[in-house]
Amino acid sequence: MNDVLAFARGPLFYGSLIFFLVAMAFRLFRVLALRWQVDRAKPKGNAVEGAVVSLLKALLIFPFFPGLKGLPQRSALVFFAGGIFHLSLFLVIFFTAAHTLVWQSLLGFRWDPIPTPIIDGFTAATILALIVLAINRATNPVLRLLSGPSSYLNLLFVLTPFLTGFIMYHRLIQPYNAVFAIHMLAVDWLLVWIPLSRIAHFMFYFFSRPAHGAEFARRNAVP
Amino acid sequence: MSGEEKIESALREFLERKRISRRDFLKGCGVLAIALGLSQVDGAAKVALALATKPRPPVIWLSLQDCTGCTESLTRSQSPQLLNLILSDLSLDYHETLQAAAGAGAEESRLATMRDYAGKYVLVVEGSPTPQDGGVYCVLGGRSNIDVLKETAASAAAVVAVGNCACFGGIPGARQSPSGGVGVRDILGNGVVHIAGCPPIAEAITAVFVHLLVFDRLPELDGLGRPLETYRNTIHDRCVRRTFYDSGQYVKSFDDQGAKQGYCLYLLGCKGPTTYNACPTLRWNGGVSYPIQSGHPCLGCSEPHFWDGGGFYAGQSAPLASPSGVITAVAVAAGAALGVGAILAGRAKSRTTSSPAPPPPSDSSSQEEKTR
Repeated sequence: MNDVLAFARGPLFYGSLIFFLVAMAFRLFRVLALRWQVDRAKPKGNAVEGAVVSLLKALLIFPFFPGLKGLPQRSALVFFAGGIFHLSLFLVIFFTAAHTLVWQSLLGFRWDPIPTPIIDGFTAATILALIVLAINRATNPVLRLLSGPSSYLNLLFVLTPFLTGFIMYHRLIQPYNAVFAIHMLAVDWLLVWIPLSRIAHFMFYFFSRPAHGAEFARRNAVP
Repeated sequence: MSGEEKIESALREFLERKRISRRDFLKGCGVLAIALGLSQVDGAAKVALALATKPRPPVIWLSLQDCTGCTESLTRSQSPQLLNLILSDLSLDYHETLQAAAGAGAEESRLATMRDYAGKYVLVVEGSPTPQDGGVYCVLGGRSNIDVLKETAASAAAVVAVGNCACFGGIPGARQSPSGGVGVRDILGNGVVHIAGCPPIAEAITAVFVHLLVFDRLPELDGLGRPLETYRNTIHDRCVRRTFYDSGQYVKSFDDQGAKQGYCLYLLGCKGPTTYNACPTLRWNGGVSYPIQSGHPCLGCSEPHFWDGGGFYAGQSAPLASPSGVITAVAVAAGAALGVGAILAGRAKSRTTSSPAPPPPSDSSSQEEKTR
């Protein structure tokens, strides 16, 4: 298993990361290079302010306060699960002690990790949130119509690194190196899968929210 | 005289002959019993009985491409009386560092042991075999190390590889090493017992011989050929600083406040979570300490390719290979160029078509438009 682990941490990770970078840049610039519709109407508000407000609201407020949207109770739970899932995802990827070492290796510098027990709680929250989202997708009649196999595979491929990471940290299954190898293989595969799937929304989101916010603000609407 | 009295008498006679106190003897047997995974009381009695009554196998100790650190670890152990007890009776018939004979006489003693004890002697290999270029990088008595290794292993009762070099190639097998060292298993196949480490703990080496004496068979091995009794757990499992890892308290540099407090060394590159060895339980220098306890991260020296494992201070989770800034920039630029190129090519194609209506977007582009 050591050879598998070394391969997953070495050449496979390298190849996956290069594919991820090329493919994500391809997708982003393919959208940015599309013709943008020119709005010739006289602006009624500040577009930049709208872009910033829209992005900040989307990142900090709406995911955690579903009541603001006046949603029914079940939708509120799913909404909240989505919010917690994305927050946990961000914290676990960037602030787990082990992951700060990965970032240090990639960027040449690192930042302080969040204490492991807190990250552990967020990891558990992510796993639970993913389960809630999967159940919702499987039971909600509208979502069922919209969902294909790739929708469930998205959830599975994101869940696997979290689950294996959680197992590794708590050493629930031995040998540790075998779980570590599966964890790394799952991460490598996720890097390949993301640009091919709708998980790529994590990148587009940071463009679409400000774009929508700017359009709203030009019409003096609350983004 | 009853059986128990006979054993007692044999033990007394043995201790008198070896000039060792009963207390020291039983204490050492207790340490070995722990190393074998036995209970300290019953296990120590079993070990004591085996040491006092059973004959030792002859040993041929081959030194291939090595630094002799493993021999140093063994001979400089803090329990020399116990080791002498085992080694002196082990009939160490051939050991380049320790034997008195030299040159042709030394080689003759090896051949004599092989001839007289065929199928009974234990072959210990320290250092890595180097098959590259016909084995010219390590020559014993004018012969290739590979020839000597195969010849000596052919009639051995057991083969024990001692140290990371003998087990997995170690430093002579690291990237860019000209001699291309490999593990003994790469030459002789499976069945070789690996006492991994750089160097291995003396008691871990001794434990294999004692296991042979006590149980008349080799110990149970893990997937990498290491005795489970010594290599069952990771350093992290039994680490003295484990509580700090669990509570997220880390040393961030060797001279910070965390280092003074004895916090976890994970962020300084500790390989404890992925390294299987008994350092936290057996420890070094007579059980005084081990690297992590002394303030240095584990290097993972009992694991394969530890020398090429991404740097001693790079972190256990860090990727072993990652693209440089230039390669990253080239990858992003290539992706961007392809993306823009795809759109421009689509526009050019639409201009050449005679249809006044714009061409229908592809599936993926329509999806992206939805996203926008």
